[in-house]
Amino acid sequence: MAGSAAVLTDDSLLSRLDRRLVKLEHFMAVIAGLAVFGLMVLAVISVSGRNLFNEPLPGYVDWIQQFMPLIAFMGISFVQRDGGHIRMDIVVSHLKGRPLWVFEFLTTFLIFALMVLLVWGTWAHFDRSFDFSKPMWSRDSTIDIGLPIWPAKLLAPVAFSVLCLRTFLQLVGYARAIVSGTDRPVAVPMIQSAAEQAAAEADHIEGRD
Amino acid sequence: TEWNASVWGKRRAFTEHIEKLAELVAEKSGGEFTINVSYGGLSKNTENLDGISIGAFEMAQFCAGYHADKNRAITVLELPFLGVNTLAEEVAVSNAVYAHPAVAEEMAQWNAKMLMTSPMPQYNLVGTGEPRDALAKFDGMRVRATGGIGKAFSAVGGVPTSVTSSEAYQAMQSGVVDTVAFAQHAHLSFGTINEADWWTANLNPGTVNCPVVVNIDAYEALSDEERKILDESVPEAIDYYLENYGKLLEQWESVLAEKGVQKVMIADGELAAFKEKAGAPLHKAWIEEMSAQGLPAQELYDLLNTTLDNSRK
Amino acid sequence: MDSIEIGLWVTGGMLVMVLLGMRVAFAAALTGLVGLVWIFWAKKGYAPDQFDWALTVAVKTAGQVPHGKVASQALSLIPTFILIGYLAYYAGLTRALFEAAKRWIAWVPGGLAVSTVFATAGFAAVSGASVATAAVFARVAIPEMLKIGYDKRFAAGVVAAGGTLASLIPPSAILVIYAIIVEQDVGKLLLAGFIPGAFSAVIYGLLIIGLALTIKGFGPPVRGFTWKQRFASLPPALPIVAVVVIIIFFVYNPFGGDAWGTPTEGGAIGAFIVFVMAVARGMRWAEFKDAIVETARLSAMIFTIIWGVLIYVRFLGFADLPHAFANWITSLHYSPMLILVCILLAYAVLGMFMDAIGMLLLTLPVVYPAVMALNGGEMVSAADSTFGMSGPMCAIWFGILVVKMAEFCLITPPIGLNCFVVAGVRDDLSVQDVFRGVTPFFIADAVTIALLVAFPSIVLWLPSLA
Ligand code: NA
Ligand code: NA
Repeated sequence: MAGSAAVLTDDSLLSRLDRRLVKLEHFMAVIAGLAVFGLMVLAVISVSGRNLFNEPLPGYVDWIQQFMPLIAFMGISFVQRDGGHIRMDIVVSHLKGRPLWVFEFLTTFLIFALMVLLVWGTWAHFDRSFDFSKPMWSRDSTIDIGLPIWPAKLLAPVAFSVLCLRTFLQLVGYARAIVSGTDRPVAVPMIQSAAEQAAAEADHIEGRD
Repeated sequence: TEWNASVWGKRRAFTEHIEKLAELVAEKSGGEFTINVSYGGLSKNTENLDGISIGAFEMAQFCAGYHADKNRAITVLELPFLGVNTLAEEVAVSNAVYAHPAVAEEMAQWNAKMLMTSPMPQYNLVGTGEPRDALAKFDGMRVRATGGIGKAFSAVGGVPTSVTSSEAYQAMQSGVVDTVAFAQHAHLSFGTINEADWWTANLNPGTVNCPVVVNIDAYEALSDEERKILDESVPEAIDYYLENYGKLLEQWESVLAEKGVQKVMIADGELAAFKEKAGAPLHKAWIEEMSAQGLPAQELYDLLNTTLDNSRK
Repeated sequence: MDSIEIGLWVTGGMLVMVLLGMRVAFAAALTGLVGLVWIFWAKKGYAPDQFDWALTVAVKTAGQVPHGKVASQALSLIPTFILIGYLAYYAGLTRALFEAAKRWIAWVPGGLAVSTVFATAGFAAVSGASVATAAVFARVAIPEMLKIGYDKRFAAGVVAAGGTLASLIPPSAILVIYAIIVEQDVGKLLLAGFIPGAFSAVIYGLLIIGLALTIKGFGPPVRGFTWKQRFASLPPALPIVAVVVIIIFFVYNPFGGDAWGTPTEGGAIGAFIVFVMAVARGMRWAEFKDAIVETARLSAMIFTIIWGVLIYVRFLGFADLPHAFANWITSLHYSPMLILVCILLAYAVLGMFMDAIGMLLLTLPVVYPAVMALNGGEMVSAADSTFGMSGPMCAIWFGILVVKMAEFCLITPPIGLNCFVVAGVRDDLSVQDVFRGVTPFFIADAVTIALLVAFPSIVLWLPSLA
């Protein structure tokens, strides 16, 4: 099962674009993390308000529903950058060199094609909830306190667009690797054996006990 | 022709008119026109209008209060204290409002056409502990109520807390809400009655409005004969629904007795006070707000009231 | 071709893509999308001029799923549970637990290994993920066991097996995912995990004691702690107790009153306590940022699988495949218990190669309705049912069984993730060493699963009170 892997860099344009994009992706992941923290704070406010002051937080559920897309979508490209989306690598781990890059190019291309279609689909979903002529531009609202839903719906096509950019860069990286036949391509996640990966994961935890 | 209908939850009194309609249509067309009713497989309940708009399925049920901004015009039917007393009256006022051009126009934005309503009785409260039989006891009450009913309880200090209908039982059990406003069939099918100590027999704060719509393109693509079969089956389906719901209401008293649920009658003075705070002022606010958005709000409101008067003659 | 056949082809295509190594989330979403196009186009008789319409409707239908499904109160438990686990490292809970377990129980035969099992079980109460638990304890517990003469392979096996407890004992991300997929009460499922989790720990403990008594030169008991030392070890481990109590009380009040709130709130309050503790222990902004970014990363990974698979599930709804599969299962002329055992064995095989969350998400939409149908339907009463339990109770029982199977797969070769992690932490151990050391625990797990199947009340007693 694949976790994250290293991404090599050099001073080519591709690698510079990769590092530029990862800054944006990291920033988006921090926002997602803060949203998780926000969820926790919201619950503390809601519970203490209800139990200590008999003043429940109006629209608590509505707010949770507004926070969740931040958490679910904002980190998606950050994970893709170093190959963190889960896959079974029993077959892939036996490939090396060009056959590996061809395989990675094909699966990454499928992801790219899927995400382009989903940018369209999730944009349409947002668009149905958005109407310039209505108050708060809203044509869809939450159930208790009537918050407009379009900002939360907009997060999906935005985050998916960043993922399209990311997979596009990776396609270029794999294409270059197919041409040059290198073992060490830049701007794409390097495949690791399950054991290497476990070691990397364990390193991450080091010093936290 | 094969249609898909998207509803949610489990088969219950609330969906019987759709099941009946599917049965009638198949029968009258000799099996040439069928409607598959899907309980949650095709869409999320708050996104049924989206699915109709896309054309993913041809028929769907939804409730106005789930997303007021999607269906502003019909929220008039969810205003508290309209004084609708029976399911037949509920059908009459719904049909009249659905037929209004402003409603048709708003639904057309979703590529939807109103087919029929899902009439529901007044959403009375069940709760645990001491009965909340006076207005003062609604202050700070966490109540599971949507749309206009939720607004009515807000007007007297309650806090509407929406959990989905399937979570209502647990929310009540865990104290997330103190009371749940549902129609009788929902109190039964979602189990809130099992947790309840009391039920407000005469609070009658209002109800929710849940239309069944069809996709306009699919409706127009029907052959003339199929369309006729569909349209003519609607009144029959509604009659069946009313008959079925009527039986359920007849059993209600015995259910209360069996579960040991106290029937709470609220004093007339308290009711009048509630209505004074949450009735007319909320009606007025709705008319102002919707008029400002360019809807013929006063007209819809008057239409509702004249229909109600006429249906009693 | 009818919709069921389309459903089978698309499902087959997805499994091939997943096995070849396409990332699970995207393989599921892509095949779901392709399946939707197929279904809609088939509806128009594959007319060439209707393809655009079918594609548009399919893309827009799929486009509803990501936002529509993740904007849910129940799913908000997942990031919260993940955050608790990351914060727990900073709060120093690992060492505190191990120290307390050692001082209190290491006097039994095989004492240090037994202490390790109970310390991992305790850590499971703040950690939602098995792999993380194994990684932390590999560092804390293995050196101490080696110091007093344990076989290094066995010491590694204890930690790898103990780590699996984290997904049964709440908080557990995987139980939440199960609850969401099958639309059952999250609180009751979390509650249901407690006893089987503790039960697994006890079986592990008994196994170790048995081994210690029969094998010469097994690690000696550790004695000589004074009562004063024992009690002194408790306060640093107290937040664990607080978190456990809070999560229980937020789902079910054992004293008969109202529960304090929802599981969602309970998880968040638990996270808050651990957060306060971590801050008190001197957690800095950099560490905090690290914790939230890691939480965001893991959440994004899990949520992508969730909405990806749910696009496939939406397609299944249009193809009506789960319904057809359930009809087929119930029409088989084998004993229902045999069919259930076969399903569990199939999970054991699948789990050898697949990640637990991906495996459950991909299979449950089809398998779960079949199991429910086998028992007599979702709303069946205990008296009318096949397995002697009501529909909702059967859902809980099957959930715990499936999660226990998924956990079992974390220690079985060839892809036993926990074993990889332990070997990764310890340079002196190969993966083969860990697999060899963990072998006795297969027996313990097989016994546990058999007992959970034979005596469902182990699972159902606690949730039936709530
Ligand atoms: Na856990
Ligand atoms: Na395995």
